[in-house]
Amino acid sequence: MNIITKFKNMFSSEDVVAEEPAQNNVADDRTNISSEPVEENNPFPEPEPVVRRVIRVAEVADDIFPPVDGNKVLIKAQPSATSDQCLFMLNRPLFSGHSWWFPDFESAEGSLLAERLFSLEDVESVLVNEATVTITRKDKNIFDWKPLGSEVGTALRELLEERGELISEKIISEMPSQDEIQEGIQKAINEEVNPGVAGHGGLITLEHIKGNTITIKMGGGCQGCSSADDIKARSS
Amino acid sequence: MPKLNKFRIQIQTGSEGIEEPARFCFNSHVLPLEELSGGTKPGETLEGGYDVNSVAHSMTLVGPENGTWSLQKIKVDFECENTPPYSVEYPAVELDETTELNIWKDPPLPTFDV
Repeated sequence: MNIITKFKNMFSSEDVVAEEPAQNNVADDRTNISSEPVEENNPFPEPEPVVRRVIRVAEVADDIFPPVDGNKVLIKAQPSATSDQCLFMLNRPLFSGHSWWFPDFESAEGSLLAERLFSLEDVESVLVNEATVTITRKDKNIFDWKPLGSEVGTALRELLEERGELISEKIISEMPSQDEIQEGIQKAINEEVNPGVAGHGGLITLEHIKGNTITIKMGGGCQGCSSADDIKARSS
Repeated sequence: MPKLNKFRIQIQTGSEGIEEPARFCFNSHVLPLEELSGGTKPGETLEGGYDVNSVAHSMTLVGPENGTWSLQKIKVDFECENTPPYSVEYPAVELDETTELNIWKDPPLPTFDV
């Protein structure tokens, strides 16, 4: 099961499952507003410190594309901070409501979108998610995405004009249901992921699923932990 | 983690305001907002900021010690080192003595058209 395997792989490196807990981790994503110690045998003990829950709400997002007439395809490229990946955002969907990861050329068989992108030099893997494509390049020493980005943009426009089968019918028909994905991911979290990240004081919870796209919450000691940054980078 | 030079925040209060000063929490240090104008009564907009000059790990808007603070809209203007200024806007949310709102966002990655 593609998505569950990829999810497990995100947490599979040794640095994530190290036994020693990090010394400088924050215990939770909560702030200890009053950290005064309570002295023993104090007849007038300080009140319990207020532990607050941090609320995270999605920001109000501006539309990144201006309104356009007709069928003009607009594409923006956003290289990652490490420059090994680039996110391509389109003003139209490529795979509505779903995502799919193509780890290599063989996995692209029958999917015109991935086949075309793998035909470009230096493409290592392709992740399609609704109206975005994330390309990972083979050569990690090249930091300028403009030449390859331009080729990707041309390929995407041509594909959208051809109106072919961007994602193979086989992938779509064999895609596990949302319930199956939820069950598989939850099992992986319980049995394989959390026992490992617990060594860092972390806790992973499944937030929600849309199509075959899952959202997880990284709590506990994940805040400020370098392994959490590593997981986020691998899951993007 | 980027170094945050300073930020300005605009907080539009909804139906429930607060009497106490607005506070934020930067890297687990609770601080009052400075250079204030406006207010935090229902319907009012408070503007404030702080010259932080420190690497940002976390930043939150702290809920009131008593009662509920109904926030209609929050806009934060960030000035970080070596990046262009950027703004983040958050939708309506309620805070109380048990909560704080994350208002930190890393600078956006640059984009280009292809």
